[in-house]
Amino acid sequence: MSSGRISKLAGLLLACAAAGCATGASAETNLKVFVTSQGQPAIWRTLLDQYEARNPGIKVSVELGGTTSDMQAQYLNTVLTAKDSSLDVLMLDVIRPAQFAAAGWTSPIATDMSAYLRAYAEANTIDGKVVALPAFADSMFLYYRKDLLDKYGLQPPKTWDELADAAKKVADGEKNPNLQGLSFQGKAIEGAVCTFLVPYWSQGKVVTKDGKLDFDREAATKSLALWKGFADSGVAKKNIAEVATDDTRKEFQAGNVLFAVNWAYAWAMSQGAESAVSGKVGVARLPAIKGGEQATCLGGWEWGVSAFSKHQDEAKKLVEYLSSPEVSKYMAINGSLLPTYGKLYKDADVTKAVPWFADAQPIVETAKPRPVTPRYNEVSEVIRTTVNAVLAGATTPADGAAQIEARLKRIIR
Amino acid sequence: MTTTSTFKSEADRPLARRPWLSRWSDPDDTTLAVILLAPAAILLSVMIVYPVSRLIYTSFLDLSLTSGLPARFAGLANFRQMPDDPVFWQATWNTVLITLITVPGSLVVGFALALLANLPFQMKWPVRLSLLIPWALPLSFAGLIFGWFFHSEYGVVNDVLNRIGLPSVIWFNSPRLAFAAICLAIIWKASSFMAMIILAGLQTIPRSLYEAADVDGAGRVRRFFEITLPLLKPTIVVALIFRTITALQTFDIPYMMTGGGPGTETATLAMYIHQNTVSFLDLGYGSALAVVMFGLSMLVTALYLRMIRGSGAAS
Repeated sequence: MSSGRISKLAGLLLACAAAGCATGASAETNLKVFVTSQGQPAIWRTLLDQYEARNPGIKVSVELGGTTSDMQAQYLNTVLTAKDSSLDVLMLDVIRPAQFAAAGWTSPIATDMSAYLRAYAEANTIDGKVVALPAFADSMFLYYRKDLLDKYGLQPPKTWDELADAAKKVADGEKNPNLQGLSFQGKAIEGAVCTFLVPYWSQGKVVTKDGKLDFDREAATKSLALWKGFADSGVAKKNIAEVATDDTRKEFQAGNVLFAVNWAYAWAMSQGAESAVSGKVGVARLPAIKGGEQATCLGGWEWGVSAFSKHQDEAKKLVEYLSSPEVSKYMAINGSLLPTYGKLYKDADVTKAVPWFADAQPIVETAKPRPVTPRYNEVSEVIRTTVNAVLAGATTPADGAAQIEARLKRIIR
Repeated sequence: MTTTSTFKSEADRPLARRPWLSRWSDPDDTTLAVILLAPAAILLSVMIVYPVSRLIYTSFLDLSLTSGLPARFAGLANFRQMPDDPVFWQATWNTVLITLITVPGSLVVGFALALLANLPFQMKWPVRLSLLIPWALPLSFAGLIFGWFFHSEYGVVNDVLNRIGLPSVIWFNSPRLAFAAICLAIIWKASSFMAMIILAGLQTIPRSLYEAADVDGAGRVRRFFEITLPLLKPTIVVALIFRTITALQTFDIPYMMTGGGPGTETATLAMYIHQNTVSFLDLGYGSALAVVMFGLSMLVTALYLRMIRGSGAAS
């Protein structure tokens, strides 16, 4: 047998692996962008096409990940732990930059953040370094059926009690067994963290203060009891523990929901050709706990450059483009994604496409961020699984609140 | 040196002076043994010995990628953390329970299927094929399919219940019902594997034994308990070892069906390991949990092996 031939072959393979056979050959730079499937990937693609046309020699391909924020994070965790260089640009949920920066997975970007909404400038600046640039802003809103509220002479509710009364009144009048009063996220997904936090914050409480746990068990019990009460009283459906964000969007769009808690992306689709409620939808601030203030959860996604990308400069240039006012405006008009620049909220083209964006800026600006910690994934898991257990009836609200407190104590010390 | 290569005197053929090529083309016994065993030994060390030792080593480290700190030796700290971790206990208990329910469950169902498939059908392949399909299906698909079956609104199970006049059940709202649904899916999936192994065993039993029993006037039941079952014992034990170890590692089906919900009520140990390593990036604690699972698997395997040796069934 010829060992010489084998060693030559092995040498060739090694050389190939070292040089990166797939990309080394041509002068063209291929960038791979990871986009969340809920972040309007088709519309981003049209922008990437334009970018390719303007920048000869750059090709951009899109990779879509899991269907929920946590599935995407699991995928990115696997890729980046392995220091894999195949992804150059990453779209990240607003809760992730802190964690990714701590792990050393994103490259810092030297840029001025003052033009962005303050919440996003803050979320993307870790220890004085900009670790990602905003892709789009977001917060949770109350979607409602304008036609049905008008029919019964109702105003968008300011408190959750008012919402329950309105739902009851409409249900009694409509006598439609398929019409749900309220749809929200009860499945153990990232959205369920906001489900818990919105009424908790509404009572003026916080989860962390100066990096220390500052948990109010009573407020937590009240928050869990509020949602469980909706399921028990029939305002929400009994299997609410199975409902994820996009289920809420689909059921509302099919005309089966009076009130829905959802992010801005649901608007564009509710006005689309496949929607049963086009032209009948209103958007308002989320209600408050009686006697509390109206609060909502800060969302939004960011563009990060992978620290393992072999095309750092090209990737940063692409990210700066994707985070530019021009792109933000385009995504607002075409994808109903909230702008990351304050001035765009009153832009005539934007408000013509999405009228309610004109009133959305103060809501986004007062939206509260979820606890910022590198161990956020554990915080999230504790909260969302408990929300899910309470809504399923496997745990009582009081026990659930005690469990959250006990488990958070082990994570945030 | 070897004592077996006596057909040529060592003095005639001093190893050192032999040309390089002829040592390869006509090796002595020791060299041959080394050459033949090397691929297996290398493969085992690269694929099993190294990862397992690395896992055990990592389990003694404080290594969390979210901390931003370098790995630090932590002794038994990861293991000490387990007794106070309620999710660890729940996941371990669920894993043990899944093993206790689905291993006998799939053995009984698989045995029945194997006996059925062993009947003298005119066309054997459709029977064999239908036996194979659940086994050939990827585990995560099976989990997804059963997840849809038991979905409270779109699922076929509730549809059937409604059609016979019973109310819908929200399966995944109840820890017990969700757990039962998961066990059912696992039994469905695993029975075909059991059936195939048992079927192979059934076909090694000589027909003459049954004919002799027939002559002696033994009935069907008697033949089953006196011939089939005893002769199948080694086959069954092997099938049980495989099945038990995979049951202890249960991940895909509950992960896809319930994601461990409601809450963490149906999480398994393998899911908790995955969560700690892949989601929480706490590689130290995740490794320690994996070491516990590894120990559990070794323990069960040792018990089975003892059982075979005790009964003298091992060849």
